[in-house]
Amino acid sequence: MQFANRTSLNNAAAVSIRRLQAKLVQCGKPFYLLMALAVMALLPLTAMAELPVPSHITPPPGEHEGEHVPQPIEFPHDRHVKDMKINCMYCHTYARRSKVAGIPPTSKCMGCHKVIATDRPRIQKLTEYWEKGESPRWKKVHDVPDYVHFTHEKHIRKFVFDADFPVEDVQQVCGVCHGEVREMTVAEKKKPLNMGFCRRCHEANGGPGDCWKCHK
Amino acid sequence: MSKMKSVKIDRRSFLKMLGWGGAGTALAGCDLPTTVTLEEGKEEVVSYLMPEEYVIPGIGVWYASTCLQCDAGCGLHGRVREGRVLKLEGNPDSPINHGKTCMMGQAGVQAHYNPDRVTSPMLRKNGTLQAVSWDEALSELNGRLGAVSGDRFAMVTGTVSGHQAVLVSALMEQMGSSNHFAHETINARVWRQVCEDMLGDPMPRLRLDKAQVILSFGADFLGTWLSPVHMATEYAKFRSAPRGMLVQIEPKMTLTGGNADLWLPARPGTEGALALGIANFVIERGWNKVNVTPNVRRALAEYDLPKVEEITGIPVSKIKRIASLLSERSPALVLAGASAAGFEDGYESVAAAMLLNIIVGAVGETIEASAQFPEAALLARQGSTADLIKFAKGLENKAFDVVLFANTNPVYTAPEALGLEKGLAEVGFKVAMTQFPDETAMLADLVLPLASPLEDWGTHVAAYQAGGDPVISVQQPLMEPIHKDVRGFGDVMLGLLKARNKEFEQFADYYAYLKTAMLNMPGLADKDNKNDAAWNNLLQKGLLSAKPAKGKLSIKAHTVEVAGYQHSKEYPLHLVPSARLGLWDGRHANIPWLQEAPDQIAKVVWDSWAELHPKTAHELGVKNGDIIRVSSASGSIETQVYIHKGVHPDVVAVPMGQGHTAYGRYAKNRGANPLKVLNPITDKKTGELATHATRVKVSKVPRKNILVKMGGSETQMGRPLVRTVSADQFRRTEGEG
Repeated sequence: MQFANRTSLNNAAAVSIRRLQAKLVQCGKPFYLLMALAVMALLPLTAMAELPVPSHITPPPGEHEGEHVPQPIEFPHDRHVKDMKINCMYCHTYARRSKVAGIPPTSKCMGCHKVIATDRPRIQKLTEYWEKGESPRWKKVHDVPDYVHFTHEKHIRKFVFDADFPVEDVQQVCGVCHGEVREMTVAEKKKPLNMGFCRRCHEANGGPGDCWKCHK
Repeated sequence: MSKMKSVKIDRRSFLKMLGWGGAGTALAGCDLPTTVTLEEGKEEVVSYLMPEEYVIPGIGVWYASTCLQCDAGCGLHGRVREGRVLKLEGNPDSPINHGKTCMMGQAGVQAHYNPDRVTSPMLRKNGTLQAVSWDEALSELNGRLGAVSGDRFAMVTGTVSGHQAVLVSALMEQMGSSNHFAHETINARVWRQVCEDMLGDPMPRLRLDKAQVILSFGADFLGTWLSPVHMATEYAKFRSAPRGMLVQIEPKMTLTGGNADLWLPARPGTEGALALGIANFVIERGWNKVNVTPNVRRALAEYDLPKVEEITGIPVSKIKRIASLLSERSPALVLAGASAAGFEDGYESVAAAMLLNIIVGAVGETIEASAQFPEAALLARQGSTADLIKFAKGLENKAFDVVLFANTNPVYTAPEALGLEKGLAEVGFKVAMTQFPDETAMLADLVLPLASPLEDWGTHVAAYQAGGDPVISVQQPLMEPIHKDVRGFGDVMLGLLKARNKEFEQFADYYAYLKTAMLNMPGLADKDNKNDAAWNNLLQKGLLSAKPAKGKLSIKAHTVEVAGYQHSKEYPLHLVPSARLGLWDGRHANIPWLQEAPDQIAKVVWDSWAELHPKTAHELGVKNGDIIRVSSASGSIETQVYIHKGVHPDVVAVPMGQGHTAYGRYAKNRGANPLKVLNPITDKKTGELATHATRVKVSKVPRKNILVKMGGSETQMGRPLVRTVSADQFRRTEGEG
């Protein structure tokens, strides 16, 4: 029943946005932007955590309580992102080029960790993998079903490069779907990443609405 | 109640309402947690240890290779992602297939990823095949080969060309044996012989694109004849304005027959008489472009139209129409395929068709000299059933001690009457080099698992070169072998050669051999090449063209003697073992995509069937799906009836491909194999198996099946789903593009 309630709420929200948009199209552009911001602020379900949401994205409502997934190495995203200020796309380098963001190759980890923090147990475990010539078998946290064609590349292009959004703040864009990874150690799923979530975002941000755009 | 009654809901509105309801349900379901692969932490994701520079996960890279699903030699491009080949398409640079593939080519990935691959060598111990190491397998094989002398060793392959053919010849030479048999059930052996004898070129180029009318005596060039993908491209040009006209004469409608403007079933085996009758009429009317010798003229004069009608069952009016088409629509092209060639006088029938070509002036117009690849050693050693019969004779005479099978499955394709299984039981040591546990492998003493064509190196020279400069097509692996214990065909052959001749030891593996050999080819010779540029370019393109050894056609028209038609009381019907693009000769029965692809004519899936003319079915008292027993003098098979107007009333047509007793989960114990019951009749001239000459009788079996086919209904139920025009109206507009 909870789900049903949420669905109807969200649908109602989506409908009201559409109605507003329809009206706004008739008005001038500045007014449109102003109103869009106002609508965003008013929507109760869009409230995000501390991570700022880029002004050009209307984040879709929807939360998910992801489990803590034990990984072969308890990789600290917080240490790398918050403390060391390493860009998401430094490690997830394929995100801007391909459908998958990619887990960084072990050689990339070792590029730094041959010399950095070599006395820590987690790094020693990583070095063990490297010396054996193996990659850790990570557990997937974020995924969509096989019948969904999702591509990181198109989303990064639209919301970062085409929008002239500063690449150094890219985690704000990533965070729309991946949550506040900078506060986590290993990644946890914080957004539902289901069709409703995708559709709400596509409606609010002008994404394509054809079935075959994703189901092909 | 009365109020409700007044609301009329027709079927369409009802469906509409249902549709909306369905959509509503679907939208409401959007936020429900899905259970499909979304669970966190259930699947693994493993990164590269060190990525290759050009690899981006999620982005496919295309590599060139060659298709080995049949022996047409089409060029391929394979899409590889994260080290896995996912999709095959044609290589646009290939003059054979111009970037296209047929469905068998598309399904190459399913052969490659087939769950029933043989994954390790197996040696027969105490009567059963047991997994052994390659070392043990090869030491056993080398020991056996060492103990056999000369012609007591035999090798059976399919069509083999390029450097694999060189290695096969080299091994035969080392063994001092001349017994290499190349076996293909679907072949154009008789056509080749006729072309060689009458035109001086065994594989002339056929210009379907230039022809204005094609008369085909059972040559299924869109499905199974010579080079189907290439022919289909040429056919499209033939059909574009001004639209060429296709006349097909065959006892069972093939894919090509289904496309014909005029489809006529002559009485089986009388195609030759029909061709001679048409030739006679053409000359009588003075429509011939080439004059024939008095000898030939006299022989032709015997075939006056009423007599031809009596032999063939084709009305005089139709014969006249065909003859006038051939002269009105010049240039013409006459072809002859399996259903004309598959008789005792098959050679003569095909020769009659060729005579017609000569008379209507097709030679030099639509039949051109071939452009042959200049390296004779690399030319295709084309398979035939004559070789199979020779091999069977050898077995009967206990002529072999060791037999090596490679990429062929004669135990499945050979008619029971050839006694192959019995003969093989007498052979001391039988080795099967194969990817799959097929019928031949099951009888072998040693099974060597081969890499799939998508994992292996090779070069291929298509027997039918499409024109322009002839090409050699390179086969390069599209991925690492899925199973670690398989080896490439070239690697195994090279290993056997190394054990016998020190010269081969300079090559670490078949890749090294191939690279050296290719870099020494005239078109590529670049011995100073330090940076491998020539080699890499070759692999990128997938093809090497060569200056052709240009041939010339020299016409030798001679008299043709075809047999008359014999009726048989005991066996009233003819068995047509029809070939189809899909399962082919049965080698693709283990590919689910091809099993589920409906037959182009009967639309049946996953099974065998027997095509019967409605009249014949009525006489036999059988309906669609009834099981019948088809018996020849050599055995019988049982399968379900499919009633269809596209067969001659004297014919029962059973498609090849099913009826495997082994060959993995998708093929085994499914349908019936018509090849098994063929009588061992051969074409007198070429020794080819007369595949269409077997007479059969049909009896009803008191069982019934539900015929599983696409399009369960033969009518459109009054809905204009496919727009049609009347034949008259069509005739008025035909030829206007």
